[in-house]
Amino acid sequence: MRTAVGIVASLVMTLSACSTGERVDLGGGSSGRLVAAIAGEPDQLDPNKTSAYFSFEVLENVYDTLVEPDADLQMRPALAESWQVSPDQLTWTFHLRRGVTFHDGSPLTGEDVVYTYRRIIDEELSNADKLSAVTDVRAPDPSTVVIRLQQPTPNLLTNLGGFKGMAIVQRKNVESGQIATHPIGTGPFAFESQKSGDAITLKANGSYWAGAPKVSGVIFRFIPEKSTALSALQVGEIDWTDSIPPQRVNQIKDDDSVNLAVTPSNDYWYLALNEARKPWNDMRIRQAIAYGIDRDAIVAATSYGTAAKNQLAVPKGSFWYTDYNRYHYDIEQAKRLLHEANASPQNLDMLVTTEYPETVTAAQIIADNLAPLGITVNIRTVDFATWLDEQNSGHFDMLMMGWLGNIDPDDFYYAQHHTNGSSNAQKYSNPEVDRLLDAGRVETNQDARAGIYRKAATIIGDECSYIYLYNPSVIQAWTKDMSNYDARRDKAIRFRTASITEGGTQ
Amino acid sequence: MTRLGRSPVLVTNPVVRFLARRLLYSIVVLIGVLVVVFALVHVVPGDPVRIALGTRYTPQAYDALRSASGMDRPLIEQFFGYMGSALTGDLGVSFRNGDPVTVTLLERLPATVSLAFVGIVIALLIALPAGIWSALHEGRASDAIVRVTSQFGVSIPDFWMGILLIALFASTLHWLPTSGYRPLFDDPAGWLRHVILPGLTVGLVAAAIMTRYIRSAVLEVAAMGYVRTARSKGLPPRVVTMRHTVRNAAIPVLTITGIQLATILGGVIVVEVVFAWPGLGRLVYNAVAARDYPVIQGAVLLIAALFLLINLIVDALYAVVDPRIRLS
Repeated sequence: MRTAVGIVASLVMTLSACSTGERVDLGGGSSGRLVAAIAGEPDQLDPNKTSAYFSFEVLENVYDTLVEPDADLQMRPALAESWQVSPDQLTWTFHLRRGVTFHDGSPLTGEDVVYTYRRIIDEELSNADKLSAVTDVRAPDPSTVVIRLQQPTPNLLTNLGGFKGMAIVQRKNVESGQIATHPIGTGPFAFESQKSGDAITLKANGSYWAGAPKVSGVIFRFIPEKSTALSALQVGEIDWTDSIPPQRVNQIKDDDSVNLAVTPSNDYWYLALNEARKPWNDMRIRQAIAYGIDRDAIVAATSYGTAAKNQLAVPKGSFWYTDYNRYHYDIEQAKRLLHEANASPQNLDMLVTTEYPETVTAAQIIADNLAPLGITVNIRTVDFATWLDEQNSGHFDMLMMGWLGNIDPDDFYYAQHHTNGSSNAQKYSNPEVDRLLDAGRVETNQDARAGIYRKAATIIGDECSYIYLYNPSVIQAWTKDMSNYDARRDKAIRFRTASITEGGTQ
Repeated sequence: MTRLGRSPVLVTNPVVRFLARRLLYSIVVLIGVLVVVFALVHVVPGDPVRIALGTRYTPQAYDALRSASGMDRPLIEQFFGYMGSALTGDLGVSFRNGDPVTVTLLERLPATVSLAFVGIVIALLIALPAGIWSALHEGRASDAIVRVTSQFGVSIPDFWMGILLIALFASTLHWLPTSGYRPLFDDPAGWLRHVILPGLTVGLVAAAIMTRYIRSAVLEVAAMGYVRTARSKGLPPRVVTMRHTVRNAAIPVLTITGIQLATILGGVIVVEVVFAWPGLGRLVYNAVAARDYPVIQGAVLLIAALFLLINLIVDALYAVVDPRIRLS
């Protein structure tokens, strides 16, 4: 071994004489290219079809939506420059920005918007529920799109532009079958190439409607190991990453060569008890679990203190935030509730997945927390494919999962807690909550609407449809050479205005 | 009729017969592998359609995607459909992005072959001298050092070694890049700089295993009567070592080298993850996570074929190093 180390060391030295700390160059002259490391490879690049965050990290820079959220998640003009709503709230007329072109040079027209929305509705893509109130979409002329609704939809703008899943795609690109691997959008960067397992390269769209990007392109490298990504950032091989080990956040804070953002996000993590199974259908027993778990310990262990505890879904700072602190770690209270319900559950089958390690970590704490109540938590750790199967077929007592990318309160509560909600795997049902969630969908007065959701959320929290745990933080780091970039709370990664000072790296 | 006249020669030529038989045998094994993999991926719980749709989906969207991807057809029909096109080199398209599986595999193969080649060269560079030295100095301090070091090498987890190597050579010394891959023919220097750390990680682990094998193989041969005879008839120790001991220990060395090489070619997922290396291991891992059946099947088929190829080469090399071994 000693000789070997000698050989290797001398080999290494010879090689390193060639160049040190070079920037990543995937060919094609990368001067001024921003190199970003994400933790995994996009499954596909069709924005209307993918559900993977890795895909959206890339596609955020390739595509546009009619409207889009600003830093405060207020919806602003994007492909649509302006819009009017009819007095009955049932007809929305969008005026498209003129002169917008796809990356292949063809102009964007109202037909593309109609085609995209019809595609999502007719092919029943997973985002079809965002358009569930739409009865008709048409383009009376190339720069106008008219959307008709069956009921007033105050969150229509959020539905149309909240994330790039609703991006406007090009018919030709879809019909040629190229969109999944060679997407053509209208966004600030155009897709250039992908190397399987390695990287995706985008080049700047000089004619972007909001101004050409300041960098000549973006290379998204896939670096799954967080400590490797961090090392790559620290030596200057990459400019930006969100693949960061939370336990090293404090250390990065002290690193002068790196900018760090720890921003509260709109994501949330929760526990759900299966109400189709006894005894979890009894609200008091679910409340006993809510009192029986130590949220502080869970937050500390899963996020090293970077997440914000929350007993409801919507994070602090949002317009829709409701202050709610009913539960605290109280074993005696939990025991009282179990006694009151005259129940003594012995076993709890908890479904967690290695895909989201925080669920595995939290499960161990929860198992420890619930032991004094006489409940043995059987932690079942499976891969995500199995997890989804088990969730959908109701094979669990309790599960832990998170939701991301929510902006409007309807996103936060409807699908999860309405009796007919498409994501109500825990089978919660309360007619009052259903009524409120339905009313929230059509209430156009912002304050009245906030009141409705405050009421609904409080009932959901009280009755433990979900036992909410925390809002994680968006954790991103980038080099000091990179400017005009900010971490967004909706985790959209926008490099359209970012710039890189050359020669700064190594 | 020259053709008729020639064929008996071909059939009787032992090398050709050997190769033909091994090829036939390989095809049978590959079909067997395919059947097993096809059955396994469909038995394992988890639904690719559900994965593709994520957590938020409607039953209509589910049915639409399921029939679009042919998943609603009977299993047996799916199998024979797959077999048919696989024979023509068409391994289908990925469920996830519609990319042809054959293209993806060919894109990943060079990275895997690079890593395996560099890893095994590093392993041999270390294990051959260390193993032989250790055996020839059995019981002495240097032998103990080699044995302890290789025990250490076997025990250390490869991800940990990888992270340590990055910390030392990339973060601290700035000699080598932390991660990533460059194709050999596009950028030879870049290829070498990127392959060293993952190659070293794979190589050190393999070296530790191989050192122990080589040591015991040499020890076994050294205890043979003919070595003692050679020594007693006055041959210089170097000649005894090289011509009699080491040469005869070559067979087990070849075997373990072949096994290690095949293992690395099959994908070293952990090392690929640590170094963001675009090899077959991560491809299979991600495909399994997504239940991307065509990719899993294609990759396993390719890995099995590589295994068989290496076996074939090792078998042929047996005959080269040891004329006593017949090609039968």
